Amino acid sequence: MKMRIDGREIEVRSGETIMEAARRAGISIPALCYHEAFGGQGHCRMCMVEVQAGGVTRLVVSCTYPVTREVEVKTSTPAIEKIRRDIVTLLYKRAPDSDFMERLYHSYGCSDNTLHANLGERCIMCRLCVRACEEMGVSAIAAVSRGTDKRIATPYDEASPDCIGCGACADICPTGAIEVIEKGSRRVIWNKVFEMADCQRCGRPFATLAQLEYLESRLDRDVVKQRLCSNCRRKEVVGKVRRYNASLPFV
Amino acid sequence: MATNGNQLETEEQFQEIITRYPTEQRYIMPIMHDLRNRYHYLPRKALEMAAAHLQVPLSQVYSMATFYKAFSLIPRGRVRLKTCDGTTCHIKGSQTIIEEVYKNLGIRPGETTPDREFSLETVNCIGACAIAPALIVNDKVYGKVTAASLKTIIREYGGRENE
Amino acid sequence: MNKSPVNNPDARLVLVCCGTGCIANGGLDVYRALQNELNGDEGVRVDAVTKGTGCHGMCARGPFVRIMPDDINYCQVKVSDVREIVEKTLHGGEVIKRLLFRDPRSKKTVKSHRDIDFYKRQHKIALRNVGVIDPASIEDYMARDGYQSLRKALFTMTPSQVIDEVVKAGLRGRGGAGFPTGLKWKACAAVDRLPRFIVCNGDEGDPGAFMDESVMEGDPHSILEGMAICAYAIGASAGFIYVRDEYAQSVASLGKAIEDARRHGFLGKNILGTALSFDIEIVRGGGAFVCGEETALLASIEGNVGEPRDKYVFPTERGLWGQPTVINNVETWANIPFIIHQGAASFASIGTAGSKGTKVFSVVGKVANTGLVEVPMGTTLREIIFDIAGGIPNGRKFKAVQTGGPSGGCIPESLLDLEVDFDSLARVGSMMGSGGMIVMDDRTCMVEVARYYLNFLAGESCGKCVPCREGIRRFGEILTRICQGKGTVDDLNLLESLSETVQSASLCALGRTAPNPVLSTLKYFREEYLEHIIRHRCPAGICKELTEFYIDPEFCNGCGLCAKMCPSQGIAGAKKQAHTIDQSKCIKCGECVDVCRFMAVKVR
Repeated sequence: MKMRIDGREIEVRSGETIMEAARRAGISIPALCYHEAFGGQGHCRMCMVEVQAGGVTRLVVSCTYPVTREVEVKTSTPAIEKIRRDIVTLLYKRAPDSDFMERLYHSYGCSDNTLHANLGERCIMCRLCVRACEEMGVSAIAAVSRGTDKRIATPYDEASPDCIGCGACADICPTGAIEVIEKGSRRVIWNKVFEMADCQRCGRPFATLAQLEYLESRLDRDVVKQRLCSNCRRKEVVGKVRRYNASLPFV
Repeated sequence: MATNGNQLETEEQFQEIITRYPTEQRYIMPIMHDLRNRYHYLPRKALEMAAAHLQVPLSQVYSMATFYKAFSLIPRGRVRLKTCDGTTCHIKGSQTIIEEVYKNLGIRPGETTPDREFSLETVNCIGACAIAPALIVNDKVYGKVTAASLKTIIREYGGRENE
Repeated sequence: MNKSPVNNPDARLVLVCCGTGCIANGGLDVYRALQNELNGDEGVRVDAVTKGTGCHGMCARGPFVRIMPDDINYCQVKVSDVREIVEKTLHGGEVIKRLLFRDPRSKKTVKSHRDIDFYKRQHKIALRNVGVIDPASIEDYMARDGYQSLRKALFTMTPSQVIDEVVKAGLRGRGGAGFPTGLKWKACAAVDRLPRFIVCNGDEGDPGAFMDESVMEGDPHSILEGMAICAYAIGASAGFIYVRDEYAQSVASLGKAIEDARRHGFLGKNILGTALSFDIEIVRGGGAFVCGEETALLASIEGNVGEPRDKYVFPTERGLWGQPTVINNVETWANIPFIIHQGAASFASIGTAGSKGTKVFSVVGKVANTGLVEVPMGTTLREIIFDIAGGIPNGRKFKAVQTGGPSGGCIPESLLDLEVDFDSLARVGSMMGSGGMIVMDDRTCMVEVARYYLNFLAGESCGKCVPCREGIRRFGEILTRICQGKGTVDDLNLLESLSETVQSASLCALGRTAPNPVLSTLKYFREEYLEHIIRHRCPAGICKELTEFYIDPEFCNGCGLCAKMCPSQGIAGAKKQAHTIDQSKCIKCGECVDVCRFMAVKVR
């Protein structure tokens, strides 16, 4: 089926969200809690768009709104821009220590105000980390408590027996809110200390032993038989391809 | 470890409560209710065992235990004071009760006295608006509580005043 | 077949209110004393009933004893009165005047409820049985046409006729949003996936509202019957009643009712011998206001944190465990048997053009008669607050009425003639919500009220979406500084600007309506905000930092009541001489203002 978005007509699969369809067509809608790998969460509300369907116009969240009939979408109107400015303001005041939020705050031209800034905070509660941890099959962290006190934590704020120290949470965090300390052969994350494994080729520590053991227990041994860092793994693949190419007869 | 109500908290007891329920995620809350009814809080070991039994990550169980206000992760006192902070009680002076409890027992909402005798929490409207402000002690409701009657109630339950 | 004394004019029945209010006043002791006293007396049955009988504005005057069929009502009964009641009234047929209710306005004693304005003006549908029957007796319920509607539906109507009847009745959801119930059922029945589920939302969380509690405790079968009728209409096999954690009595009452209904064949396999199989399970809530929101409630039943989801696809299509689900509130369910029994036309003849039937309001706060009031839609606020609930006590002035729960709005005196229904309340910036009505007098600070509600919501928001979580946090911050005298006029603009975003961008109704207390008080009581900001004064004498009480010697006659009541011994004065307040001792609790019968204590 078809959907008109910002005057352009694009193809949509029924039931697909506006966000997914727009991204496929190369139209970007701002979002802070969206990641292709996880689908829409509807937390940040930055991706609100105006939808016209059956003569009714309303604001919806593009990452959770499924397109099931002909709709016309506007990704930016003065009302939507105001909402985005307010959301950025609220999140910047919540997490003023995040450079990412500071840049966003300035680029959205948010006006200064008297709201109190929460010093020392970088987390904006997008919960991408929780989703990443869940996808990893570990679920060591979750959103705890509720209301304005809601935050991301391990159970009892202690080292979680489930955590494998993979750092997927920190990698996906847009604001650098998850602290990872790496020193020598140790990594500290979420209050837990991990021993690192060294790359068999370059000798640099590249992953926690716990993560490798976790992967080895779940994946085909072949995939992880060599403990290589991502750099050396790439080199290894390139080398294999080169050797293979070299073995081919010259055409 | 023995706590309030002389209920021994043993793993066998936890297991007995937890295994009343089949392995389905929807039984997290019923298990928490049963634990709360017995121990007045959710013992950590019991939650860990519940997570294992229901095959749900501990983080999910912990997330729920901290989300739902009916549950406490810290032990409650032998005498559990709950002040109603519904609108009616609020405009009829529940704040004063909270302050008076602090003056008398030195605890704020969510806290337990060091001797585990008294704990205080606030609850949303209990539907006793006609007798606001209301105070629930263990399961008994006291209506039209004033600073003076609060002192009497605390004494009734064996509390001594702070100097 | 009628074993129930409810409809039997010869049986003597003594009803003792054992609702929360009456129990706090010793209701259970009176109940036990009466039982002891009447032990072995075949002609009299003593029943403990909850809520209902007490809520004719008499919770505050409980414990409350009602003797049927004479309909004699005694209030503030003590254990020491029990023997006299048995001897004089039950055996001697004499009314004990001392124990009768005294109307606060006419000052006359009243024997029967029917003579009390509070009762006379009400029209009971949802509460038709509450306080009249023993909720633990299925025979009582059946004696009042209970389960006749289920029979009628099963044996004389097709499922689609049942749905049409509910559509024609014009019943709108009593839980807050006011969505047409019949259309909801129709939408669910149209989704071609099994199983379908039915849910009763009994997570009544609005402070000051207890009508659902009253029905769950006092007339549980009406809910079960309503759900069973719906099960037939939409083809559902399982139902859940989600009961608020605090309502232990409701859980007990519903649990007993479900067992009895199963035994009588109204629930379970092949209901009344038909092909319909439907059963109900009780789920206890965890103490989260947001679970009153239907998608959060469904998440909670599934064993998740009670976070709502975007409702672009309704629960009728994707509800419990992804299956088509009808979810209605307690009061809505209680209306269903009436509609099927009396017919849609009868129900639709009551109410306004857009809102049919009656609505139960719980009128609480600064009114003479606190309690549940069921009136036709379209009754004015003035009738409810003044004619039925008896107006403002202690000679104080009406200031505002807050409707719709914590995210409703505050309605000022100028709108007292508003005819209350779903649409009229929304027009003035408030909402119906579940029917809470909190009356406020001039000792209520509207800024502090807004702050209270936003504080409540800050703790009760699920914390999932940014506008609600972060916006409410900021409302609280700004309102708190205004209450402390540290606000600026710019803060009011900031409040209004942020409100727009929270209203239009929040995920669920909790967030979208959260700015209502702020916006409605700003709209109708802006002066009071400015008073706090510019003159650093709280006219109601509530915001402690901005309040100083003094005793006006012109009015004070030295009765000494304030000095006696002052918890910090901060008032002194000779007998019959004007008293004074020692400001260094004053904790600004306002007890002196409230107890003074001469209005001598004033706010500087």
